[in-house]
Amino acid sequence: MSFEEIEHTADRAFRVTGRDLAELLENAARAIHALDQAGPAGEPSGTREIEVEGVDGESLLVNWLNEILYLEQANQLVCERFHVDELKNHHLRARVETRKCDRSSTHIKAVTFHNLKIRKTSKGLEAEVVLDV
Amino acid sequence: MCKASVERAMLSKENIERVGEHVWEISKTFRDDMRVPARLYADEDLLDAALADNSVTQLVNTATLPGVIKHAIAMPDIHQGYGFPIGGVVATLLPEGVISPGGVGYDINCGVRLLASQASAAELHPYLEHIAHRLYANCPSGVGSHGHLRMSNTELDQVLHEGSRWTRDQGYASRGDLDHTEEFGRIPGADAAFVSDRARERGRNQLGTLGAGNHFIEVDRIAEVYDEAAAARLGIYLDNVAVQIHCGSRGLGHQVCEDYVSRFQKTVRDYGIELPDRELVCAPFDSREGQEYFHAMACAANFAFANRQLLTHLIRQSFEEVLAAKIKEFELHQVYDIAHNMAKVEEHEVGGGSVRVCVHRKGATRAFGPGSSALPDDLRELGQPVLIPGSMGTASYVLIGTTKAMQQTFGSTCHGAGRVMSRAKAKKVVRGAELREQLRNRGILICAGSMSGLAEEAPTAYKDVSRVVEVVHRLGIGRKVARLEPLAVIKG
Repeated sequence: MSFEEIEHTADRAFRVTGRDLAELLENAARAIHALDQAGPAGEPSGTREIEVEGVDGESLLVNWLNEILYLEQANQLVCERFHVDELKNHHLRARVETRKCDRSSTHIKAVTFHNLKIRKTSKGLEAEVVLDV
Repeated sequence: MCKASVERAMLSKENIERVGEHVWEISKTFRDDMRVPARLYADEDLLDAALADNSVTQLVNTATLPGVIKHAIAMPDIHQGYGFPIGGVVATLLPEGVISPGGVGYDINCGVRLLASQASAAELHPYLEHIAHRLYANCPSGVGSHGHLRMSNTELDQVLHEGSRWTRDQGYASRGDLDHTEEFGRIPGADAAFVSDRARERGRNQLGTLGAGNHFIEVDRIAEVYDEAAAARLGIYLDNVAVQIHCGSRGLGHQVCEDYVSRFQKTVRDYGIELPDRELVCAPFDSREGQEYFHAMACAANFAFANRQLLTHLIRQSFEEVLAAKIKEFELHQVYDIAHNMAKVEEHEVGGGSVRVCVHRKGATRAFGPGSSALPDDLRELGQPVLIPGSMGTASYVLIGTTKAMQQTFGSTCHGAGRVMSRAKAKKVVRGAELREQLRNRGILICAGSMSGLAEEAPTAYKDVSRVVEVVHRLGIGRKVARLEPLAVIKG
């Protein structure tokens, strides 16, 4: 499994893995999509480009996920299929496919930095992400 | 930036010393990076519940913040959050002590408002279902819900600067409403120049909306009065109907927090601040960065005050729609409105002298005692009303702030029941539709947009609020005035 939900008393949390940072970012985006969908998505509504940066891998991960949540909440969209186009020096360019959604698609208020550490494993990278809901 | 070198000593009950009845302390020597001891206010069972997850470690982490004074404090409803524990109170010495956006949280000025009526629950009973449906229809709720107002940038700026005063100028609030709101419904220091366009965008259409999660509107009956004189001063009488509102600053506040937590990842490096958790990022209060966050946080707090005030207006309209010509002169007067996620600049007595501090209350309520100049004339002698909502379907409490809270907890007390079960687990063990039926059988109407959201908020996922309040009352950091029982709950 590239991601799984883990116990958190008040909020939501998940563990995510990837062979490299690009895959970790893609899988983390899929994880929040899988963990929290408020309603059924409608017709495809095109592709959006996302460009974010961070001071390190962890802040890039948080900023990327928050960017997706913002895109969804501000435009009443659901993001799905995430593709990293370029990742260099904690600067990311990516594309997401979107679908229309009647209301904001997520209960997640924000992605937090709580105890966030991207760790190296024998298979690549792993991180645990806590979401404020 | 993160102090990876700090060994995370495993925390167990042996590291916690009982220093008084329901008062527990973790010594400053427990971890090298602690600047002050950590204190928990709890009975033994609540302490055991706190030790079941990472909340106490999170409390210890807050004892490392630069400028923290006296103790890092946890209330009996402490539970695991992110960065700060929920139920945490941390004061930092100004001007150089830090302010931490994570110490306020994403829902800036999430809080509770209580309205009370002179009508009895029996009088209202025939109309209750109709009222619940009107409340659900009139008060926009649910994830991403939009309000009735469409605001220009200039109007939004006015809301961010003026809070409830803006709603009064628009005819949505009375003078009494503002007097009976923490900070009179307006936090000083707001400057909308430090609120991002993105935050404005997320909040623009959300003024006057409830949101989802644990936010609610609840019609209650005053089920028990412990202090008749105090209750009478607040206009609360046995068996009468009251209404609680629990919500905050919606997407605008979430974005303000997110903006500054992200930005402060670099700021802590610039100031050489080492922390055990990156969600605790902070800046010296008097620094440019600290001040900019404070200006933005005050804006979000004012937005939340205005939000609860607009909901109050919609609630009054809903009752009027149903009760006009049925119950004579039905009115909902405001008992009080309090925040439980906020950083405030306050004066407190520490070590025999008065100091200026930044008090972070994260899932904790201001509970100022009698005589405080922060209270309006009609409440100054009594003390500040404190509103403690229970979990869905359970009791809520009205308390009064005390002198002891001023002495021991920077004028703070608990904020609610406190979760003990994860949302994921609650959804596995509880079915929303069944829960709604069970509550209906107990005479509690539920109007909810999401059955899974309902399951997440099941009473079984929370501690017993009565036990939390009892500890606070026995400790003397809040005095019980009345207990409320729910009649109808409106949720997103």
